[in-house]
Formats: sequence, C-alpha cells, structure tokens
Amino acid sequence: MIEVANLTRRYGALLAVDDLSFEIGRGEVVGFLGPNGAGKTTTIRILAGYLAATKAGRLVVAGHDVQRDSMGVRRSIGYLPESVPLYPELRVEEMMRFQGRLHRMDRQAMRVRIPEVLERVGVQDRGKQLVGTLSRGLKQRVGLAVALLPDPEVLILDEPTSGLDPIQRGEVRDLIHSLADDRTVLLSSHILAEVESVAPRVIILHEGQKVADGKPAELAASLGGGGHVAVEVMGAASAEDMSSLIGSLPGVESVATGERVGIHQSFEVRGEGDLREDIGALAMTQSWALRELSWQRPTLEQLFTRLVTGRGLDELAMPVASGPGAAPSSKPEAGPAGLSADAPVLASGLELSQGPTGPSALPLGTPGNAGSKIIYSLNPFDRGASRDLSKPVSVDAPPEAPAEGLPEGLSDGASEETES
Amino acid sequence: MIGTFVVARRELSGLFMAPFTWIVLLVVLFINGLLFSSFLYQTQGNVTATLSESMTGPSFWLWMIFLPALLSMRLVAEESRSGTLEYLLTAPVSDAAVVLGKFLAATGFLALLWSSSLIYAVTLDYAGGPPDWPAVIGTWFGTILVSGLFVSIGMLASTSTSTPLLAAFLSMVSCLMWIAIPFLAANIMAYLVPLLTSTAAEQAVLAERMGSVVASMDALRHFSRSFQMGILDTAEIVFFLTWISFFLFLTARSIEARRWRG
Repeated sequence: MIEVANLTRRYGALLAVDDLSFEIGRGEVVGFLGPNGAGKTTTIRILAGYLAATKAGRLVVAGHDVQRDSMGVRRSIGYLPESVPLYPELRVEEMMRFQGRLHRMDRQAMRVRIPEVLERVGVQDRGKQLVGTLSRGLKQRVGLAVALLPDPEVLILDEPTSGLDPIQRGEVRDLIHSLADDRTVLLSSHILAEVESVAPRVIILHEGQKVADGKPAELAASLGGGGHVAVEVMGAASAEDMSSLIGSLPGVESVATGERVGIHQSFEVRGEGDLREDIGALAMTQSWALRELSWQRPTLEQLFTRLVTGRGLDELAMPVASGPGAAPSSKPEAGPAGLSADAPVLASGLELSQGPTGPSALPLGTPGNAGSKIIYSLNPFDRGASRDLSKPVSVDAPPEAPAEGLPEGLSDGASEETES
Repeated sequence: MIGTFVVARRELSGLFMAPFTWIVLLVVLFINGLLFSSFLYQTQGNVTATLSESMTGPSFWLWMIFLPALLSMRLVAEESRSGTLEYLLTAPVSDAAVVLGKFLAATGFLALLWSSSLIYAVTLDYAGGPPDWPAVIGTWFGTILVSGLFVSIGMLASTSTSTPLLAAFLSMVSCLMWIAIPFLAANIMAYLVPLLTSTAAEQAVLAERMGSVVASMDALRHFSRSFQMGILDTAEIVFFLTWISFFLFLTARSIEARRWRG
C-alpha cells in the first residue's frame, strides 16, 4: 500500500530524511517511532503530498506515484497532521461538508456518510458545535472523522495522541484499533508504549534513517535484552557476596551492583526472562530485607541511545552508579555450592521458619512446593522495625485485612515498592 | 474548477462567520454613507459629481489601501499559522485552485462592499436625480478589478510570511507604492534621464520610453480613463487581468516553494 525507496529530504544543509526505504502492505498497521527531529513528520508530509521529496527512488501510496500523481494520492488517503488543522469558525458538520466537497462527494453521499463517520468516532452529538470550542480530545476525534470521511484506503496519522490526557489517549488508541481492521494505517509517535499498543509493527527512525523495523516486543528484546530486574535489598552480607549469590541463580546472566543508599544495596539483574520470583525466593532464604523487586523495561530513549551510540544499557539505566562497584559482574564461578532457591538456608543467625498454613499462590512465586514463608525484618532502621520483631508475620497477606498485619518493609517487597 | 469554487465558498462563509468582517462592513459602510451625504451637500445635489467623488475619490483609494490588505492577510498567512494550510494543500485540490478560490472570495467580498454605491445610485434615481448609469456601472466594475489587483498583491505578501499583521503591513506598503508609482517615477526620471543621456533628443526619447513603462503599471490612470467614464474598454480589462494573473501566478509559485522549503 505504501512503498518508499531511497527517500531523501533536505532542509537546506539539514538532512531530515536520509535514504529511507520501507514497505507497508495492505491492511497493515505500522507505527513510526523516533525522537523529535527523527524525520517522522517530514516523511509523513512527503507521503501526504504536503512536502516535496528532494530525491526518491520510488514513492507510491495506494497505487499512485506521489511525485507524478499527487492528486490521486490525496484522493485515496486520509491524512491527519499533528496540529489537527480544522477551521475554528466552522461547525463540525460544516467542516465535514467542506471535506466532502473537496473530495467531490455528492450531497446524497454526504448526507449518509457524515453522521455515520461522526458516530464512528463518537462525536455524533457535536455536529452543530463550533470546531473552535471543542476540547483537544474532541478536536482529535473530529480530525479523524474528517480524515475518514472519504473512506480512504490509507490512513496517515501524525502523532495522533500528542497533547491528550491519558484517558483521551486511550480513547483515541481504541478508535485507531477499530479503524485498523479494514485499512492500512501509518501513524507516528515518540512514545514506545503508545505505538506498541496500537501497531503490530514499528519502524524506528533516527536522524532520518531507519534503524529498526519489526514487532515491538522483538525489537525491544533484540535491542535492549528485554529488560532487567531491579533489586534493592538490605542484608548482612557484603555487596560482592550478595551479587555473587544472585549471580548463581539459574538463568541469571549478569548482575550489576548499583548504588548503596544507606544500608540498602541495589542490583540490576539480567538474564533469561523474568527473574523476580527466583530473586525473591533467594532473598527469603538469605533473610535479606527486600525493599524493591521490580521488572524494569528499557525505555525508548535507552533503546535509542543503545542503538545510536552502542553504549551498554547498564550504564544508561543507572547513570549514578559509578565507582568500583558499578561494573557489571558476570556470573561468579565461586558461587555457594548447592544453593538453590527452593532449598531454605539458614543464614545470619536468624531462623527461617515455615508457616504451616497459607494460600497456595505465593506472591513471591517460590519455585517448588514450599509453603508460605514467615520472615523477620532484618533492618532495624526500616520503618517496619517499629513492629514487634518477635512476632512472625506471613508474607501472604490475609485476604480480609491485607494491609493490617503486614510489615511494611517486607510486604511490598515482591512488587514495586519504591519508597526511599 | 470545482475545487476553486469549494475553496471560495468556504473562504466566504468563513469570512461572514468572523465578527471582524461585520465590524469592517459596519465601519466602512457607515463612513462611506457619511461621506456620500456630505458630498451631496457640497455639490448641492449634483448627482453625477457626488457618485463620482464617493466611488473614485481619495476616500475610495484610502479604503483600497487598507481593505484588500486586511482581507488578504488572513488568506494564506493565517492558515499557515494555524496549520490549516497543511490540510488544504493535502486535500485533492490543486494549488492553483486554492489560490484562485481564495482570490475570488476576497474580491467577491470587496465587490459586495462597493456595491453599496449602486444602492446610493438607485436611491438617488428614485429621489429624482437620475445618475449617469453607464458611469456608475462602469466605475463599480472598475473598482472590482482594482480590488482584485490589490487582493492579488496582498495574497503574494501573505504567502511570504506566517504573521498576518506583517502580511497586512507589507501589502499596504505595496499597494501604496503601486498607487504612487507615477509620482515616484516622475521624480526618479527627473534625476535619471539627464544622467543617462547627453542630447536633448535622446532625453526626450528616453523620457517617453520610461513614461510608457510607467504608464503600463499606472492603475489609477487606467481606472480613471475608462471605467470612470462608463466605458468598458477590453484593453483596460486586459491590463488589470494581466497584472492580477501575474500576482496570482507568483502567489501559487510561492505556495509551491513552501513544499520545497518545508
């Protein structure tokens, strides 16, 4: 549906799009991803016929050559620029009629099509309202309605969710989802999560060049190794020992020792899949007080920096982690032999007792068939230390009173407890 | 062609939905009405002189400098600023249709404004002072052509900037210069001709040649020597249409240049 080969566009000395090539098939939904100034809008504007290409090998949209048959392209696409240009002095219906007339629709067709399209985007009750008085979210919908009116084969949307609040963003996203069934959609965004939720395929641009093209999950995995587990614990052992203990877990590829805040030591654990359960179990067996155990996905910016500069994600994700301890330590050879997550170990003089009862589903996901763990806080400075340490508490919250009997420093250890 | 009318129609409906337009209409018609009645008093009921004064006098040329500029400043500059130009230039209409449609809308609005003089003429006719109808109609037709010329100059100014106010200012200065060409040229020629020539015969020839160049741009004279007298001279119509097409052509090229400039 869209074919671009060797597209180049200059603004004076500035090279905005540099020899870009891609193809989008019929019915595909593709997201253009890139930081500001990557050439997304320029490419989109060239495809829509607003800007001319400085040089292009092949530029075909909906079967029409963009450079030779611009009118044919314009007739068969629906284009919504980022600024959502609508005439503020017109009413919504008048704006729609203007679009219909520009597309040579006859009166009868417009009478049927306009209410239909307005209903599709959910603004059927705003037909008589002045465009200038619409809110940003409604304007976006009307803009989409205008683009959809001539029932285009190809829909090109430039940053369709920018400037919207999270709820409106979700609504527009759903709308695009529903539109994607029967047409080719090319949309741009600089937010990875946005594109990911709408487009099964993304093309990442940087400085006018295509740096990646594929499914978001695959791209993230190939670019940033998926993600990592952020761990923040307090334990009796030294940082090196803790690091090597974590590194000895099956599936762990590397452990980066991060910052030490007070008595808490942070680590970044990378490996196969989500290692949170294993690390949580290890922390329990080692009687470490867990403060954070979370799955961190690499952000788009980190992926980009990695793509562009080739720098490691470790230093990107933890820019403050400098010094000798910051170097990522690979899996140590001298890990404590026989240590595995499902074998409770005695450590630090505190006994790890097994709770007799408790729900079978464990939030920490201890491998094996171990029952619910009862542990003590080791951290005398933690807020949790004010509670009675002699009384054992279950990690699993009783369903009737989830917050009550839980030591705060421990309860959220399995999820994203990030208080500092 | 259909695109031209669609654009012109939207432009006109946009104009009449803006309060600005109604304020301009009110002020211009009010002042013109006052001037008309004062001319009627001054000429002691001379219908032809009154109509001629109100349709072609200094007040007309003063309006002619401000109104086309005010109207044309929004045509491209405003749309460029609000982003709707991107919508229009990616719609299935050619650049020429966009330019022509906008031009027709602004000129049509001015034609409507100047048709107030026709109402004065009709009123006078009823009141018992039959006006010189050919002159009135001819002058009205001429004012439309002059309006068109100044709107096309204003549109060219409007494409050169995305600040409407600057566009209006540029357009006013250009229109003023256009009106002042014969006066400016006379001054310049008085200095230049002696410098470039040695003999009196040469001087005469050069002055005549330059004079004919200046005359080919002198809208005031072309307007006064035909339309004002009630003559629809095709040569004069061609004169205005040529200049209008020239400026519209430049406007269309200027819009196309945006596609390359970005």
